[in-house]
Amino acid sequence: MILAASGKATTTVMEKVGPNIISHVSNTYKTDYPPILKIDPFMGIDFSITKHVLMLWLVSLIVSITIIIPIRRYLSSGSPVPSGWVNAIEAIVKFIRDSIARPNVGEKWVMTWAPVLLTFFFFILFANGIGMVPIFDVLGSINRFIIGVPYSDKYNTINTMLNGGVTATANFNVTGALATITFFSIMIAGIMAHGFTKHWKNLVPHGLAWPVYIILVPIEIMGLFVKPFALTMRLAANMTGGHIALLALLSLMAIFGEMFGSAVAGIGVSLVAVPMAAAIAGLEVIVVLVQAYVFTLLTAVFIGMAIHVHH
Amino acid sequence: MTATTLIPIGMGLIVLGAGLGIGKFAAAAAESIARQPEAADKITGAVNLPLFLLEGVAILAEVFTFLMLIL
Repeated sequence: MILAASGKATTTVMEKVGPNIISHVSNTYKTDYPPILKIDPFMGIDFSITKHVLMLWLVSLIVSITIIIPIRRYLSSGSPVPSGWVNAIEAIVKFIRDSIARPNVGEKWVMTWAPVLLTFFFFILFANGIGMVPIFDVLGSINRFIIGVPYSDKYNTINTMLNGGVTATANFNVTGALATITFFSIMIAGIMAHGFTKHWKNLVPHGLAWPVYIILVPIEIMGLFVKPFALTMRLAANMTGGHIALLALLSLMAIFGEMFGSAVAGIGVSLVAVPMAAAIAGLEVIVVLVQAYVFTLLTAVFIGMAIHVHH
Repeated sequence: MTATTLIPIGMGLIVLGAGLGIGKFAAAAAESIARQPEAADKITGAVNLPLFLLEGVAILAEVFTFLMLIL
C-alpha cells in the first residue's frame, strides 16, 4: 500500500495518504474498487458481496467451528465435566452469565436472555479480533509481488478484498444491525415481563403532575432510540479509530521519506514508527476485549432496565 | 479562525472533558476501595457502567467532529 503510494510520479505522498487510510478502513463501494461479487439490486436492495459481507460470513464460520461445534459435541457426549477447549469456553460463559446477565436481568429471566448476550459477546469478540489479523494484506502482498498482479487491476478478486480493512464491526451498518437486535430485545423483554400496555406505561415514572409528562414522554421516546444508536457508534468508532491510528503511524514512514527526498529518512522514521505501531496494536487488543464486554454489558443493563423498572 | 482551525480545538476539548470526568471517577473508585477493601468487586462493578457510557459519549463526539472535518 505504501510502496504503491510513493511510486506515483504525479501526486505526492502527502495527498495520497489521507484517501489511502480512508479507503483502507471502508467498504469496497466507497473506493473505486467494485465489490467481490456484484449482484443486481433485487427489490431496490443491493445484495452484492462486498468485503465486509465476506468478513461477516468468515467470522460466522469461525465462530461456529470454534465455539458452537465443540459445545454441541460436549453436550451430546454426556460427560459432566468439560475438558480442554470447552473448559475455557465454559469459564467465559460462566463469567458472562454470573457477572453480566444475572445481576442485571434478575434470576427469573437469566436463562431467557443469557443466550442472546453470549451470542453478542462471542460474535463481537471474534469479529473485532479477526480484524486485527492482517491476513488479507499478506495475501495482497503475495498477489502483488510474487504473482505479479498490478495494484490497478480492479477486477482481480484478491485486489478487491485487499483494498481496505477487514474488521467487520468497523462498519456502522453491521453494528447497527446488532443494535437493532438490542432494540427489539428491550421491547420483547418488557412485554414478556409486564404485558404489552404496561411496558409502554413503564417508560415514564408514575405519580407526577401532568405537565411534566408533556416534556418527559418525548425525552423518553428519544432515549429509546438514542441508546441503541450510541451502542452502534461506540463499537464502530472504537474499531475504526484504532485502525486509522495504526495506519497513520505507519504512513509516517512514507511521509518523511518524501519530505526529505531520501529513503534513509523513511527508514530512520521506521525505527520509531514501527515500535509505536506495535504498541498501539497491543492497546488495540485490549480495546477489542473491552468493546465486546461493554456491548454485552450495556445490552444486559438495558434489558434489565426494561424488566426491573426502577424510577 | 476558520473551521479547519476550530475543529481540532474542539476535538481537544472533548478529550479534556472525557479525561477529567473519567479521572474523577477513577479517583472516587480508588478512594472507596481503600476505605473498604472487601467491597472491591462491587465497587468495580458499579464503576464499570458509567465509565463506558462516558467513554461512549466522548467517542461519539469525536466521530461527529471528525466527520465535520472530513465532509
